[in-house]
Amino acid sequence: MSDGTTSASDELPSSGELRERSRKALGSQRQPTVTVLSSLIAVQDELHYIPDEAIEETATHTNSTINDVWSVASFYTNFRFTPPGGHTIDVCWGPSCHLNGAQNVMMRVHSELGVEGEGETGDGKLTLRYSTCLGACALAPVIAVDHHMKGRMSPDSAAAVVDGLKGA
Amino acid sequence: MADDTIKLTVDGQEIEAKPGQTIIQAAQDADIYIPYLCYFPGMKPYGACRMCVVSTESGGRKGVQASCTTPVAPDMIVETNTEDIVDLRKGITDLLMTEHPHGCLTCHRAELCGPQDICQRHVGVTDRCTICPKNERCELKDTVRFMKLDMTSSFNYHRRDLPIHRDDPFYDRDYNLCIVCARCVRACDEVRGDTALSLVSRSGVALVGTSHGTSLLESGCEFCGSCIDACPTGALTERDYKWEKASSKVKTVCTNCPVGCELVMNVNDLNKVVRMTGDLSGEAGHGQACFKGKFGYDYPNHVRRLKYPMVRIDGELQRTTWGIALEAASQGLSQHLPEERGVILSPRGTNEDHYVGQKFARTVLATNNVDTGLNRSAELLATLAGTPGHGAATNPIWGIEQSNCVLVVAGNPTEEQNVLAVPVKKAVRAGAGLIVIDSRETELTRYATNWLRPRPGTEITLLGGIARVILDEALEDKEFVRDRLDGVDEFKKAIWSFDLMRVSGITGVSEEEIRVAARAYGNGSPASLLHGTDGIVSEDHADLLAAVMNLALMTGNIGAKGGGVYPLFSGANTQGGNDVGAAPNLLPGYRSVSVDSDREAIASVTGGMYPQRPGKSVRAMTAGDGIKALVVLADGWNPDAAGITSDGLGNPGFLVVSDVFMSETASRADVVFPAATYAEVTGTITNLERRVQMLNPGMSLRHEEREGWRTLAGLASVMGGTGFEYGSSHEVFEEIRKAVPEYVGITHARLEGRGIQTPASDETSRGTEILFTSGESASIISMAPMAIREPISAANREFPFTLGHGRVLMRPQEDVRIVQDEQNMNHVERDTWIEIHPDDASALDVVDGDRVIITAQSDASGAPLPETGTVRLTSPHRGFVFVTTLFAEVVTGMQDSDETDTSPSVRGLPLRHVSLAKAPVLREAGMAAD
Repeated sequence: MSDGTTSASDELPSSGELRERSRKALGSQRQPTVTVLSSLIAVQDELHYIPDEAIEETATHTNSTINDVWSVASFYTNFRFTPPGGHTIDVCWGPSCHLNGAQNVMMRVHSELGVEGEGETGDGKLTLRYSTCLGACALAPVIAVDHHMKGRMSPDSAAAVVDGLKGA
Repeated sequence: MADDTIKLTVDGQEIEAKPGQTIIQAAQDADIYIPYLCYFPGMKPYGACRMCVVSTESGGRKGVQASCTTPVAPDMIVETNTEDIVDLRKGITDLLMTEHPHGCLTCHRAELCGPQDICQRHVGVTDRCTICPKNERCELKDTVRFMKLDMTSSFNYHRRDLPIHRDDPFYDRDYNLCIVCARCVRACDEVRGDTALSLVSRSGVALVGTSHGTSLLESGCEFCGSCIDACPTGALTERDYKWEKASSKVKTVCTNCPVGCELVMNVNDLNKVVRMTGDLSGEAGHGQACFKGKFGYDYPNHVRRLKYPMVRIDGELQRTTWGIALEAASQGLSQHLPEERGVILSPRGTNEDHYVGQKFARTVLATNNVDTGLNRSAELLATLAGTPGHGAATNPIWGIEQSNCVLVVAGNPTEEQNVLAVPVKKAVRAGAGLIVIDSRETELTRYATNWLRPRPGTEITLLGGIARVILDEALEDKEFVRDRLDGVDEFKKAIWSFDLMRVSGITGVSEEEIRVAARAYGNGSPASLLHGTDGIVSEDHADLLAAVMNLALMTGNIGAKGGGVYPLFSGANTQGGNDVGAAPNLLPGYRSVSVDSDREAIASVTGGMYPQRPGKSVRAMTAGDGIKALVVLADGWNPDAAGITSDGLGNPGFLVVSDVFMSETASRADVVFPAATYAEVTGTITNLERRVQMLNPGMSLRHEEREGWRTLAGLASVMGGTGFEYGSSHEVFEEIRKAVPEYVGITHARLEGRGIQTPASDETSRGTEILFTSGESASIISMAPMAIREPISAANREFPFTLGHGRVLMRPQEDVRIVQDEQNMNHVERDTWIEIHPDDASALDVVDGDRVIITAQSDASGAPLPETGTVRLTSPHRGFVFVTTLFAEVVTGMQDSDETDTSPSVRGLPLRHVSLAKAPVLREAGMAAD
């Protein structure tokens, strides 16, 4: 189950380490009510994703079962279950960006990254996500790199941004 | 009561409802059908499918509501069939149909078509109802039919194209047919308390599944089949006999354990039992079953069944006629002295079998050597009988739900008496405390509020310690102690010796833990107490029972609703066997063999002579012990598998066996009779809560098999016995009623549809739910004094460790891998933890994480142990090691079993003597789990 499938697996923490870090994150929640949801958020804040081990630890911590925890975790799109790449690129395809050519930006980012949709690149180093609105419509079309906004994108400038990340 | 009813109008008809009922429940009670899919009796309102929409008017407010979630209100006006409602319902169904194959559901020809017919409407073969395993029992089909949905829909059908999960034991899961009503999820969660399934993902792609889509073996499934019974479509099915259509359905009772769940036996037109489903009207099982009852039922169909009587001629068993076989048996038995002869009855036998068996042993063989096959813990029932007058549980099974505290000692009901654990889990969910006294980790320890892990064998001392704290802190029920108990002073004096420090020293449980548990039980009234004998040597069983009874008595938990004592014994009808006298020391109706007046009382009913000398128990008989001729009814019981002795039946000179298969026991016999199974007999069995229930035949006998009582009565007649001329089991039962006072009010006819709990004093009696209630018949109950003692060390030089083997549904912390065998079936592969005390570890020169090899002294009984494991320094006791395996390993074992009758082959978890050795270190790549 926990065989790392990405090529970046050699950099991933071990199963025991993930468990340890999950446990620590779960135990250091400060709010008065600890729920499955709050626990999952705490884990994702710590590990940036929710590995199998964290599902199991969350079940133990909240006195529920792995299936219950999975039920909650799989409901929310914001939880991810594979390690994210080193950098995350959000491409907005909200109405404003769409009207200003987000589609072309998106296609160019796809081809630059060698992916066909959301997810990690083959080497697991970059993560592409679509966004319905990044809240900067005046700057449309917008992309965000590691949550830093870059506005008035063209396919070429987007490609340059991606290129810069690849080198990084 | 009359004031409590709520009057409302449904479709112009005025009906009465109970407060708290939903509209659909009230309508169903009044025989008004409202279509539904996600509603299921016994589950909380859910409102997922909206199929049951009705228009309501209450207090001047009109609305359209789901009738499964809307409670009834006074003067409510409900319409279930107006044009608007029908339209709405059809629209909802249309939407539902977009994700379920429905070409046949809406076609008028559906009942006429065969699976391979050419379809005029081009419905794909894989989308046809005729190839769906649930075609004959599909609730979705019934519902769509009721609505007369037309064939056109404005929506496109979207096939999910999901792979079918066929790799888990017993289950096939095809989520292409799922309508996401979540009945299965709720069955698992609400009804069973397991949560092995849940709803996964969201919006348009939400579906039933497990965490990460793992197999059921990993998800914590106990394979009870509750979800299959609840599923309204073909999404969840039993794999065996998957496509078999039932031509008849017969209500019967499971004969695998003493819970006695009511099941509906489905028999096809080839006279084979093809399915077992829970009977929702059942009072012992509440519609539930377990892995044994749900999936271990089909041995009556087996081709290797014994068909004809056989006798041993020239060392070979050869087919013969009943006449010759009975004659041979008669001659062989006659050549031995009475005390050399014995009768062992099947744990699955009916009360009729047991009664005729004991009568045969006593009046014909002139011996009291008679017992039931799994009556290994006769003491469990005997002492209860000695104290307040009866064996068995004092309270009904589902009374546990009302307990504020449940104490489980030395038993593992989740496995041995599965459905009994369901009310325990439900009580815990409702806020009850659960104290588990067991050195092993069992499924119930997961739910326990207090898990005490005493040194195995010191449970009795620990119970004494708890009693001491209850007295010290004045938590006893003073009124009950004053009014109902006898021998209290002696008891208190005896309990004085249970100094807590000493108890703690002996048991290895801290004083504080004992105090906390005692307070939980003492303050937790009503509290129920479940006790087994696991890990306790047979000489101590009587003391254990005394300790248990004392605890329940001093806290006033006897005779109270939600309280009570539940003995966890094995054998589906061990209780009935004791009731009707199939025990070496008991005559029918708990009369004693050594009391002259008791023997005369029975003799006056049946005629014949009853011997005085107490007989030998099954344990003694199978160990040899002077027995030279044995008659064994061996269905569902194998002395070797039962772990009674390592060499099984000893070596009787003459062995008569009535069995369903050529078992190990039967193959050693001199005369073999073919036995009828549970599926073919009419008779009664009595469960652990004293509920007498009817076994009804679903199958007819194919060859020359006979019921146990008929075989024994035939043998008795050949041997010159009188009073064995029974024409049917009804006649046997009529005699039982005369001989057993507790059964006086019960007749076969009265048991149709509903069991009766003994004692039932006359034919109008509905039986006795709770024993020893206060009231006119309130009796004085004696307490038994008890003494503290040091545990006896059982360690030997060669196997210095005692191993406690636990079993749980899941261990999330351990790395579980699923591997597939040649048949693509899932198996669990895991690195078992061996819990060792740190002192023992240093003596063995191992540290946490090292690997050790386990060698067990004898593997004659008990579930298989792993050969190696990883050391964890968590054992609380020196000299004791603990291993916890997974339930998944039991069910895959059952799935792979070559046994014709799988359920009795599921081995228990006895204590074993083992030796440990440090494993040579392997330095293979990827060896370490972490």
